[in-house]
Amino acid sequence: MPVTERVVGQQALDRVTAELGSLVGDARVNFDQIDVTCTPGNLVEVVAKLREAAGIEARFFTFLSAVDRTAFGGEERPDTERGTPLEVLVHLYSPDHATHINIHVPVDQADPRCPSITSVFGGALWAERECAEMFGIDFTDHPNLTNLYLPEDFEGNPLRKAFKLPTRMVKPWPGAKDPEEAAGGGRG
Amino acid sequence: MDVARTEENIRLPDEVAQEVAEGRLQTEQMVLNVGPQHPATHGVFRLLATIDGEVLVDAEPVIGYMHRGYEKLVEARDYRQITNLVSRMDWLSGINNEMPLALAVETLMELEVPPRAQYLRVVLLEMNRILNHLMFFASFAAELGAITPTFYAFREREDIQAAMEMATGGRMHFGYMRPGGLKEDVPKGFFDQALFGVRQVMDRIDDYYNLIIGNEIYKQRTIGVGVLDKELAYNYGVSGPIARGSNIDFDVRKDEPYLAYADFDFEVPVGLNGDCFDRFWVLLHEVYESARIVEQAIEGMPSGPILGKVPRVIQAPEGEVYVRCENPLGELGMYLVSDGDRRPYRLKIRTPSYNNVSVLPVVLRNTFVSDMIAILGSFFFVLGDIDR
Repeated sequence: MPVTERVVGQQALDRVTAELGSLVGDARVNFDQIDVTCTPGNLVEVVAKLREAAGIEARFFTFLSAVDRTAFGGEERPDTERGTPLEVLVHLYSPDHATHINIHVPVDQADPRCPSITSVFGGALWAERECAEMFGIDFTDHPNLTNLYLPEDFEGNPLRKAFKLPTRMVKPWPGAKDPEEAAGGGRG
Repeated sequence: MDVARTEENIRLPDEVAQEVAEGRLQTEQMVLNVGPQHPATHGVFRLLATIDGEVLVDAEPVIGYMHRGYEKLVEARDYRQITNLVSRMDWLSGINNEMPLALAVETLMELEVPPRAQYLRVVLLEMNRILNHLMFFASFAAELGAITPTFYAFREREDIQAAMEMATGGRMHFGYMRPGGLKEDVPKGFFDQALFGVRQVMDRIDDYYNLIIGNEIYKQRTIGVGVLDKELAYNYGVSGPIARGSNIDFDVRKDEPYLAYADFDFEVPVGLNGDCFDRFWVLLHEVYESARIVEQAIEGMPSGPILGKVPRVIQAPEGEVYVRCENPLGELGMYLVSDGDRRPYRLKIRTPSYNNVSVLPVVLRNTFVSDMIAILGSFFFVLGDIDR
């Protein structure tokens, strides 16, 4: 069945906030997609509800990843508007309503923990393993949280901003000189 | 040697007979390592299969042999460079990989793309889809033991490949998309070559259909084999021809038309049962639909510029957006977080093969070893696309 009833923008936001109520904090529309923020403790309940709720039915697991915002805008930012610079990001999609929902889950930066959503979405099995090794986030009660890509003895979490690319340390970013001198050296 | 058949010489040894009688006869499980260099894996992919006799009890794909860390690399490159980088993710559909990046930057920068660029993009994307599908048409048949389709597929691929080469100069990695449009206009003669290529495929696809789909051996090996349940597909984020084989009418080109897809008349083929047969059936039908789109796009090709009003330095303003495209193998999405720099702050790349293959352990469980290659082949994945 293709999209039966298109629900995007404000209409989708109304349905999502009506369904989730106080489970989520900030909720807004971003390019016709829904952005919600929730605490790690509520995440499993939020994704389960979004999957089942009539009128939303976000059954399609798009991806799970994380964003480290410590160097956002080129400066060190210990705090962001969501409280902590590190967040888990889950994207769900509703095939019946063409609704996109981005769930931002701020986690503690020093000791990042987040409950696993593998009990709701099987697709998170690999995604959480990848996210765990790349960002150092502990997905509690994941059945097998071993490395997906990196060797077992790899040190560090490559996608954290604190992890610098060795090539960028020995050689500045070539883009800074081309096509004209731009401020800032290499990042990442 | 005594060959007379008596009760005595066909009897089980006493201790075995007793085990059978008491129901204690146990088989032994063993772990079979498939790959990482197995030809059926399209790259370096390893499958740890636990087998009990002829039955696969458990199968664990081991990926990461081609992990290049794109999500980190893109953070140190500007958008022009990333176009060429992402082109190499799924090496069978280079130009399709470049599309969501350009769309994401265009969305954040609110760039207007001229109609001619949109139509040309569609032509190139769909021709690349045909190239990709013909490749899997060849390889899937070869994995089931039929070598002839390979020669047909590559003969047909060549004319479309030649058209792609005329326009972009590349055969695999095109680097042709730009935020705001295309690198340059297509040369004279491109449309004739492209039409020749796709019409040839349209003429011959029926023969291939009959050659394989109607074949009794092929049916025996694929019908009812490796069934992917509809809900399971949603649950793992399976998309593309694999999902459509499982009776899911899910195609980004129809559901959320991007570029000029809303202007064209095409069908989304959908399978019935989600077995190997249906997945391949969908793939073959998509070749025809893509060829139809190319024909329509070339017939209605607008004139005009191929690049919109784009600043000399591409700098996406602060913001974030998720953009997705219907790649030949499924939904390719990019979540772009920009802090206003010329480099993305974070680019999450959601590739179709990654989600499609992550469901394999569930699909392979309790199937026969002899069906394993058919199932693997029917999941149409590219390793570079999984590992990124």
